[in-house]
Amino acid sequence: MNMLLTCVRMEWKKLRRSRLWLVMAAVPLLPAFMGTGNYLNNLGILKSEWYSLWTQLSLFYANFFYGPLIALYCSYIWRVEHLNHNWNSLMTMPVPVRNVFLGKLFPALVCTFLLQGWMGVLLIVCGKYAGLSGMPSAQILLWLLRGTAGGMVIASLQLLLSMVIRSFAAPIALALLGSVVGLFASNAGCGLLWPYSLMLEGMNANRSEDMVSSGADFAAGVLCFLLLFVTMGVLILKKRDVRTGG
Amino acid sequence: MNYVIETDALSKRYRDSETVDRVSLRIRPGCVYGFLGPNGAGKSTTMKMLLGLVKPTGGRILLFGKEMNGKNRLQLLKRTGSLIESPSCYGHLTGRENLEIVQTLKGIPEKEIDEALDIVRLTGQQNKKVAEYSLGMKQRLGLAAALLGRPALLLLDEPTNGLDPAGIQEMRELISSLPERFHMTVMVSSHLLSEMDQMAEDVGIIHHGRLICQGSLKKLHERFRGNVRLRTLHQATAARMLDELAVSYRTEGTDLVLPERPKEELAGLVAALAAGGAGIVGVEAKEKSLEDIFLSLTGKQVSL
Repeated sequence: MNMLLTCVRMEWKKLRRSRLWLVMAAVPLLPAFMGTGNYLNNLGILKSEWYSLWTQLSLFYANFFYGPLIALYCSYIWRVEHLNHNWNSLMTMPVPVRNVFLGKLFPALVCTFLLQGWMGVLLIVCGKYAGLSGMPSAQILLWLLRGTAGGMVIASLQLLLSMVIRSFAAPIALALLGSVVGLFASNAGCGLLWPYSLMLEGMNANRSEDMVSSGADFAAGVLCFLLLFVTMGVLILKKRDVRTGG
Repeated sequence: MNYVIETDALSKRYRDSETVDRVSLRIRPGCVYGFLGPNGAGKSTTMKMLLGLVKPTGGRILLFGKEMNGKNRLQLLKRTGSLIESPSCYGHLTGRENLEIVQTLKGIPEKEIDEALDIVRLTGQQNKKVAEYSLGMKQRLGLAAALLGRPALLLLDEPTNGLDPAGIQEMRELISSLPERFHMTVMVSSHLLSEMDQMAEDVGIIHHGRLICQGSLKKLHERFRGNVRLRTLHQATAARMLDELAVSYRTEGTDLVLPERPKEELAGLVAALAAGGAGIVGVEAKEKSLEDIFLSLTGKQVSL
């Protein structure tokens, strides 16, 4: 456990001076603007105040931005190892292999959490700008938290993809594709079986009725995927030869 | 424990080609072991298997007398420092931050960083971002990381690659001093055969994935002795005298080539030939270099 904490601390150290937080802060402004604009232009149909605003914000954010942003962070986390033959050094440190993956998963999860927190702040700011009174309901907070849980599944999957794929951009493209496919999977009623859909459903993106019919099923889906991707990541690290290309 | 590194029939097979073929290394404690071979001979793959970076497809590895496996991995890696392929480093971090990562993960006191920086003479540049380092500085930083915690075993893969001539000399001197200074065993690979004469006590020569020769460098030189070239005014006279003295030789153009012999004996022979009117104009004793040895072992010229 102690060793895991050390690994986590060292992973944070490797992320120093990345300026990635700038991107993470700036990009969600886009869906916030788009969503608020949409809301204000359609006040005739969108009458449920905070709920309506949320549907518009989450429509853009969940489908096109959240997943790829998590993917971007995961790609960066592995990029530092893909460069300069750092895999050799990473895998000859006297730490358990599982800690190598878990050490990297932690910053990815924190990023997932903070992004969602930022989205919550943006929702309030946009709501105030749009002239809504009071605060978003606790239910919206629950959706935000559920979305974070779904986002963690994406984080673990993207960490796995960026570990295996040396390209920086390809996993991000996959995340975008996965999120879009996720919309169709949710519509087809098999959202629980597609890792990118869990986040959409958790956030209740662009819906008035709750997409998650059973909280227990949702939680089980999240846990199963998390466990699956983390196990796969650790196993691949253990079994695969380290290859450093150029 | 007789050997710090011992492998038995260590092999790595990729799909259809054998990269490392039944290599059995024997590396004694406290020596610098030169691992020689042309590029692509299997040096890096072998060293990566020793570190667990590449999984062998056959054979076994003992480090410090213990099998390198999942169970012993951490314990063995703790006692091992390595620099494989080109140096690993995080370019966006400073030299010191890079070493702090290794130091923390290895569980070593922080003061060792200063010492390692001092050994490789990077103390002055420790707070500069590594991306701004020259290749030579990165190589030295990589060595500092490998030296952290004074591991009992050091694996260095082509450590002089990319260094300028002064840097190469410095690196060689540093490496050959390590066993005495820190009681380390060093395995160092190179495709530069000449380099080993200055660094290593023992050598292993690998070619096409197979260890074609292993042992002390001194013995290797003895086994592949050099020769003496005689140039004379009257070759026929000299040849006749050699026949009479029952000395074996061969003729190469204007030269007579004799197997290497003790200095006193050679002096006597030259005096006798001169007295007999052979008209000696040149005597050249030539020790076989590692290049020649490699050539006679493999029948192939290698890059130098």
